Amino acid sequence: MTRRDRSTLVVSVAALTIGVALLAAACGGGGNKSSASTAGATGAGGGSTEQKTFPNFRIVYDTGTDYLDPGLSYTVQGWETMWNVYLSLLGYKHVAGPDGATLVPALAQDLPDISADGKTYKLKLRTGLKYSDGKAVKASDFKYAIKRLFQIDSPGVGFFTNIAGAEQFSKTKKGDISGITANDQTGDITIKLVKPQGDFQNILATIFAAPVPTGTPPKDQSTTPIPSTGPYMIQSYKPNRQFVLARNPNFKSTDDVPATNPDKITVKIVEDDAAALQQVINGQADYDFHPIPVDRLADVQQKYGDQLKIYTPANTYYFFMNTRQAPFDKLQVRQAVNYAIDRNALVRLYGGLATPTENILPPTYPQYKKHNLYPHDLAKAKQLINQAGAKGVAVTVWTSNRDTAKKPAAYLQDVLNQIGLKAKLKVIDASIYWTTIGNQATKAQVGFADWFQDYPHPLDWFDVLLNGDRITQTHNNNYSNFNDAAVNSTIGKLKTEADLTDSVNQQWATLDNTIMKKAGWAPYVNRQFTDFFSSKINTGDCYINHVLYQFDFSRICMK
Amino acid sequence: MATETRDSTRADVSDLSLDTAAVLAEEERGPIEGRSPWYLAWRRLRRNYVALFSLFVFLLIVAACVLAPVYADRVAHTNPYTNHVTDTVKVSGKKVSVISAGGTFTDPKTGELRVKAVNILGPTWWHAGGRFVLGADENGRDNAVRLLYGGRNSLMIGVGSALICVILAVFFSLLAGYYGGTVDWIITRAYDLIWAFPVILLAIAIGAALAIGGIDWNLGLFRIKLAGESLWIPTIVISYVLVPYIGRPLRGQILSLREKEFVEAAIAQGAGSFRIMFTEILPNIASSVLVFFALIVANNILLEAALSFLGAGVQPPNPSWGTLISDGQIRILTAPWLTVVPGLAIVLTAVSLNIFGDGLRDALDPRAKVKIEH
Repeated sequence: MTRRDRSTLVVSVAALTIGVALLAAACGGGGNKSSASTAGATGAGGGSTEQKTFPNFRIVYDTGTDYLDPGLSYTVQGWETMWNVYLSLLGYKHVAGPDGATLVPALAQDLPDISADGKTYKLKLRTGLKYSDGKAVKASDFKYAIKRLFQIDSPGVGFFTNIAGAEQFSKTKKGDISGITANDQTGDITIKLVKPQGDFQNILATIFAAPVPTGTPPKDQSTTPIPSTGPYMIQSYKPNRQFVLARNPNFKSTDDVPATNPDKITVKIVEDDAAALQQVINGQADYDFHPIPVDRLADVQQKYGDQLKIYTPANTYYFFMNTRQAPFDKLQVRQAVNYAIDRNALVRLYGGLATPTENILPPTYPQYKKHNLYPHDLAKAKQLINQAGAKGVAVTVWTSNRDTAKKPAAYLQDVLNQIGLKAKLKVIDASIYWTTIGNQATKAQVGFADWFQDYPHPLDWFDVLLNGDRITQTHNNNYSNFNDAAVNSTIGKLKTEADLTDSVNQQWATLDNTIMKKAGWAPYVNRQFTDFFSSKINTGDCYINHVLYQFDFSRICMK
Repeated sequence: MATETRDSTRADVSDLSLDTAAVLAEEERGPIEGRSPWYLAWRRLRRNYVALFSLFVFLLIVAACVLAPVYADRVAHTNPYTNHVTDTVKVSGKKVSVISAGGTFTDPKTGELRVKAVNILGPTWWHAGGRFVLGADENGRDNAVRLLYGGRNSLMIGVGSALICVILAVFFSLLAGYYGGTVDWIITRAYDLIWAFPVILLAIAIGAALAIGGIDWNLGLFRIKLAGESLWIPTIVISYVLVPYIGRPLRGQILSLREKEFVEAAIAQGAGSFRIMFTEILPNIASSVLVFFALIVANNILLEAALSFLGAGVQPPNPSWGTLISDGQIRILTAPWLTVVPGLAIVLTAVSLNIFGDGLRDALDPRAKVKIEH
């Protein structure tokens, strides 16, 4: 942290203390609790530095989280919740704008020392850390957490296979990962990689890398929440109905992980978009995670403009096509799908809050180079289907029951029928959708998918979603099972690049184009989103929309 | 020889009482033709104008739904699945988008990012040449076409499940009522087991489970394989959960008929059990079965709508009245007809069937107290 930040901090604390004293004298207790606890660090791009606590922040989610286990969850709902519950060795600044992607130490004292060859990372755990249940956080807990990822077939295992000994461990799930050494006495953690890896610091900041108490059972702990290290702990969890986060009594804020404002966060699952919106309008909830129904958006903005925020996270919506399942094992069929879909029509399904795309990377990336390989052409699509001998082949289009998934999937089903396939729709509850299509046993042929960046690096897209070497039996993220040797090799080579130079960026852009020529996906839009708050919420200086985690629950405050 | 003629034996009517005059008038007409119970029932029914009108309404709805493909092809020029997202339609000579582009723009006065209103085509009421009479849904599909196709699915499931339910209920109740003893005990306990669960919850649980994986039963001699989105799934689920609701009252009637003399006579004559059940007892409960059938169809249509609304019945994109209500509820404030119209269709169908069923009950056996309770 800088000298300028420290002096600002002292002034802020003093001002807050005086302010609270005056307020207490005037009000005499009750009502809003403005406490004089430690203020958070300042940061660029919005977000109040003062702590403005209030009792309960009520959120309506559109669907239950896939898991509330840091080793298993891999959805926006899950990470947006657990970002403030399970801290990793590294984290990100709690500020809006591009600065939010700045890596900061979270449980570690400092950012890692990286050896000259890029293969050794050294960190030191902060002293005095405790879990929410009072147990001390140990350096070896980090190692245990990584081993646990392999034991529970986590969707995040692929991030850690470059650690020396991890591949061996992944085969037997017994023994040790030699590449991680941890000294509980000193708090030192050393991680040795097989090859240098340009995004490894970002990986250390993912929730997958969050330490958990040694001995945490190697199975889903969502219903028996793991003790937390962050500002909140999971107080209760009713799957697909509600969960509550309460303050972690053993959390100590730092400049990089500031204290939070809501004392409690109650998340209720309300599947219907219109009902959720109405609850917030009526003041029964404070924040609507749902997209606002498209035909009401303009009206909502008209009436509640200052409660509505529109933002564009880095995301891509696409249809996966399983290359292991006929007819999508044929390039012509996959290309036919790309030609058949009218991306402008799909934009309309999202009320115009989207831009059409054929790229894998979103436009916010410096590696993004727009291509136009598949102009909408139904006739060409039909021709390709005929050439592939796929006419009349039965196809199942998979989707979740969320409207934002069901509508494009229904559109795709209609289009596939128009080009000569025999398509039907399969709708799965959103809370189990990703685990279902990520299971090879499901043999999902084609369906809805989306991706929001975990961290701002092309590896988070290509390596996670399109690297054939990272295909797994369960919790698979490469839903297309796209496995091209040349592409895998290119990803492997670019992975070792420490810096994203212009030349490296160009290579990523070329890879995007290459994969799309092989029609690994059928990307269709990059979406815009809305955050909608009740009238009681301060959407000015307390509102942070984080570049990675979207709306930051922990910093919001009341008016 | 003196002969007696009719005329000469005829007394002077003015000297006779009214009753006697009536008897004599009857004698002149000749012997009274016997009427079957069915004819008498039909005569009672045809005087019940309310019941007949209700039947007419129901048949009208059925006819409209049966003609759905004709309407879709000749009038609306589409089908229930086609997405017309970027299409335009001429409504009273003016070109209108089925779904407008929406999007955002920067307010020139404030510099703020503003949202453009999204308009999804509302009812055109025949001003577009029969296209989108009830407007479009969020995928640009024709609501009127989906309403009629939805009706087909709802009616097929309602009638089909009622048929299966009645057949199963009659069969098992005949066994239970006729044999009594252990057979009766087993079947009645099975009824109790199903009855113990609230109907809707049981139907949702089974329906939701089967909607995912479908049915794939290998029964040795044959195999039953149904995909999760098959209409047979909700049909089987609904018929299964409602068997006790018909089976129990029928069993009661059969127990009573079992003790009648005609059954004893049949036994004495050496008739086999199944012959007695199906030729002696069954005709005597036929009127009840008919009434139950009419009432249960209405009930099953309502249950199907509930299941589909909750996602455990007809699976998207197949329409049914229940799924249309579910799909439309998100736009209840801006396009209420999406939920109201299929809801009205369900109400009309169920009410007309119930009224007709009541009329049928009154006609077949005015003393009968046939009703389905939950």
